[in-house]
Amino acid sequence: MEASEVKDPLQSHPLIEGRYDNASLTQMLFNPVWRGAGRGWWLLFLISLGGTGLLIAAISITLARGIGAWGNNIPAAWAFGIVNFVWWIGIGHAGTLISAILLLFQQKWRTSINRFAEAMTLFAVMQAGMFPVLHLGRPWFAYWLVPYPNRMRIWPQFKSALPWDVVAVSTYFTVSFLFWYTGLVPDLAALRDSSKGKVQRIVYGIFSLGWRGSASQWHNWRIAYLLLAGLATPLVLSVHTIVSFDFAISQLPGWHTTLFPPYFVAGAVFSGFAMVQTLIIPARRALGLTRVITLRHIDNMNKVLLATSMMVGYGYLMEAFTSWYSANDYERFASLNRMTGHYAFVYWLLIFCNVLVPQIFWSKRMRTNTLVTWVAAVLVNVGMWSERFVIVVVSLTRDFLPSSWANYAPTWVDWTLLSGTIGFFGLLFLLFLRFIPAVSASEVKELQHELSEGNHVAEAA
Amino acid sequence: MALWVLGEFSTSGALLKAARDLRSRHSEPIETYSPFPLDGASEALRLKRSKVPLLGLVGGLGGAAFGYLVQFLTNAVDWPINVGGRPPHSAPAFVPITFESGVLLSSFSIFFGLWAILKLPQPYHPAFDLEAFRSASSHGFWLSIEVQEGGPQLDAVSTELKNLGAVQVAAVPERS
Repeated sequence: MEASEVKDPLQSHPLIEGRYDNASLTQMLFNPVWRGAGRGWWLLFLISLGGTGLLIAAISITLARGIGAWGNNIPAAWAFGIVNFVWWIGIGHAGTLISAILLLFQQKWRTSINRFAEAMTLFAVMQAGMFPVLHLGRPWFAYWLVPYPNRMRIWPQFKSALPWDVVAVSTYFTVSFLFWYTGLVPDLAALRDSSKGKVQRIVYGIFSLGWRGSASQWHNWRIAYLLLAGLATPLVLSVHTIVSFDFAISQLPGWHTTLFPPYFVAGAVFSGFAMVQTLIIPARRALGLTRVITLRHIDNMNKVLLATSMMVGYGYLMEAFTSWYSANDYERFASLNRMTGHYAFVYWLLIFCNVLVPQIFWSKRMRTNTLVTWVAAVLVNVGMWSERFVIVVVSLTRDFLPSSWANYAPTWVDWTLLSGTIGFFGLLFLLFLRFIPAVSASEVKELQHELSEGNHVAEAA
Repeated sequence: MALWVLGEFSTSGALLKAARDLRSRHSEPIETYSPFPLDGASEALRLKRSKVPLLGLVGGLGGAAFGYLVQFLTNAVDWPINVGGRPPHSAPAFVPITFESGVLLSSFSIFFGLWAILKLPQPYHPAFDLEAFRSASSHGFWLSIEVQEGGPQLDAVSTELKNLGAVQVAAVPERS
């Protein structure tokens, strides 16, 4: 059903391949939910379940034996826990960028991938949130972070960056969830209406809140959705800024720098887009969604990857330049130590993964090659994790006094926690793909409606 | 007791045209239903401006004020701690949490305000009694008009809908 659409000569891949009537779009997008779990899904589910089991075991050991079960020790009081926290929370940022910022900029290509990316945000922030709490040492006192009147007459110290972090991360999760759910309600109603069994109809019926898609509902929904996007936009920038304050407002060489907020935000978006690519490339094929998540989407996301890679690359360069230009011995040593010290291989790994690898995306052939993209995206994930390792551990293990220098080595509990969160993240994601349409049906229908009406200007995204 | 006359249209254009037409001649409550937001539907039904933005503004300002006040009262009034000679009431350090609590409360107001304005969750609606209405969330473009049962309008409205191009017309009574 090809509509009379003028083809943009600059775009080789369309946003939606072909034109469909709304009934067949419903059919195509809901098929992954209604056809049930295949063998591949169960296999991945069991693997993720195993990973989640490892996570529970590692958390239990941490709770029973304390932080001593981790490799952290003075001077490296922060290590894997904080590295993993910053890594996971950064991954979340691409979801908000795609779902909120690109919505405000009216980038039509976000439509097919925003629900997927936003779900990734929620699940990544859930992993991130675990680490600072476990790192408290006595996580059962985590509620002390909340300012409530108590008999000890103590309050949180709000002039420290750490309570800012608590508020920022919990706000980020809550607002992302509200935004995601608001966008989901019309699709839950469509699932309710297209369900065959009574149980599904009741369950989706409850979660869709009785949505009917009436004009007055859309009228209010649209403005609420747009406003939540508007709120999520400064929020996402503030979250990683505040995370970077944890480091930047301290005095440690390598941390004490005004470059950190923008450099952290760029790095977060960079790692997040890499994670979206890592997940979406296999998922679009497995779910049969290649006609709505096209090579155009992969291509566009690779362009963002390239741009943000240049931004973090500029950050690395400026860090080195500023430390030299400061003429401060400690700053100069911190920079040199990253490149030539005990953990130099991690630094060069991050330069390779974050700066060199994305350069292949100058080529359009590479940008539209899913295998190349997937491998590059996985490498970027590794690179961004290494970057946080370099920032946290390398700075701490070589501070001002050589007498307090010591190396850091993670224990098996550290590694198990990291891989366990990856397993748990995968588990949540698989459940999402199984029970919720990964592509927003109402938004794709709206997009197709706009495209078919000859609104070509909007498509030149 | 009210009776809901529901008509399905095959295209969004036909639905909007019918809605405009009916709105200009009827005072009864009219609604359109579509699987995605339709440009022009709000204007066709002459809907009032949404109250959601106002709720968001009030929630945001209230949240920010609350966030600042909590920090001020705990750290500067109730138990001031001198850390490196910094003033107990240190406004720049209170900015991040003030901002975050403003965003949080604004989002809560928008989210819960939206459902309150729409009177959702609402598990029962007369339209759900009609099996064919299931298509409204997938591909159908529906229109509803509320008339009083037993009145002479029912037949007139049904014919009117058919004349405007409705593919099918049905009437469902509102269960009490």
